[in-house]
Amino acid sequence: MIQKLFSALATAGTLILTSGCVTSTVDQMVFNEPTEGIGGATVVILGRRHASDYDTEPDFVECVGDHISSGDRSIQVIGELDFVNEFYPWFEPRTAPLQIADLERLMQREPKVAQKLASMNTQYMIWIDGNTKDTDSAGSVTCAIGPGGGGCFGFGTWGSDANYEATIWDFGESAEVGRISTKASGQSYMPAVVIPIPIIAPVQGTACDGIGDQLLQFLSSEY
Amino acid sequence: MASTISAPEWRGYLWLAAAMVLGLLAGCGPSKVVVDGDFPAPTISKLPISLGVWYDPAFENHEMFDEATSRTESSWVVTTGQAQVEMWDSMLQGMFANVVPMVGAPGSDQLNPTVDAVLIPEVLELQYAIPSHTNVKVYEIWIRYRFKLVTSAGDPIAEWTMPAYGKTPTAFLQTDQAAVNLAAVMALRDAGANFASTFTRVPAVQNWLEQQLGNDQGAGE
Repeated sequence: MIQKLFSALATAGTLILTSGCVTSTVDQMVFNEPTEGIGGATVVILGRRHASDYDTEPDFVECVGDHISSGDRSIQVIGELDFVNEFYPWFEPRTAPLQIADLERLMQREPKVAQKLASMNTQYMIWIDGNTKDTDSAGSVTCAIGPGGGGCFGFGTWGSDANYEATIWDFGESAEVGRISTKASGQSYMPAVVIPIPIIAPVQGTACDGIGDQLLQFLSSEY
Repeated sequence: MASTISAPEWRGYLWLAAAMVLGLLAGCGPSKVVVDGDFPAPTISKLPISLGVWYDPAFENHEMFDEATSRTESSWVVTTGQAQVEMWDSMLQGMFANVVPMVGAPGSDQLNPTVDAVLIPEVLELQYAIPSHTNVKVYEIWIRYRFKLVTSAGDPIAEWTMPAYGKTPTAFLQTDQAAVNLAAVMALRDAGANFASTFTRVPAVQNWLEQQLGNDQGAGE
């Protein structure tokens, strides 16, 4: 029993020690919330990739999708790559609709797109735009190796900022029904005395949880 | 302390030395990428056209070689030919009612299957950028194409150029080669998307489609 308690305390202590601090804020503005949930309809979450200097990370989009489907098992989230491949070439960075009106025009011009969307019973399309980037960094870590062994010595630190916005399109209403934005920032550290110990701030994960929670509140009847 | 090594052991050492030398030489060679990816069939209404397609050997075997300009840089060889053919085969078969590979370059003295027109794609230019060149954490590929639409006899119908671009951000534990491959696949997908969305808007193609199909379909967006 005491051994288990020590083990749990050690795990918690390690987790606290190896993760840096993160601050985050979430803003939202949503309309026409489906109070009864979305039933058997599906949701697709896509990342914006048309900016010249950044891409919305596919793993962030996947993280938000996983957060929603694990929070409410009844919500079926279609994988981004599956969806983009299924509707190729209409959701590539060059051709992806920027407004819901563009999508309406695409469905009129390409009946196959409208048929596929209908067969998938897609009710909501959620676009995520943003990225996580490293900001200021300081310090240095030096590593050396010799016949007797090797090791590192020094201290490094760097900051990370995450900035994402989710835009919700409702196919039933043919309208944009919400925008949720999240900002998170944190500082990571890496002290090294023989072995480097990274203390990483989970900035992207915090942003994912923040935006995922708000989307769950919007889509699920259980929240 | 004296020690003797038997002949089989010597052979083992020789193989090890040869492997080490080869490994060192390989480290000095150019970075090679044979572009490989999956290209989905397009979701698009087919044009009722029988289109021939002729891939010139230079296109089918397209390869870009960029020689290093300093000792700190690496030379690059990016082979896109096979991936180009896979992507364009998939795209054209999805866009046109009938796609026929040509036996030879269209011309009056060349025996080819009968089609409405023949498309000849050509890679005019391929450029790449990696983080060590630009200090930006993105791998990029630019491709510039020239398309010729000709009759079976080789008479010109339309000729136009088209750009394509693909990029991928740096990723943990991703090699330069894997990232360049992904950027190239994105560029090829972009080429397909650009072609699908602009083909019927090329003025000379639009005029030809109007003649072939009538005003309603030929003027399609």
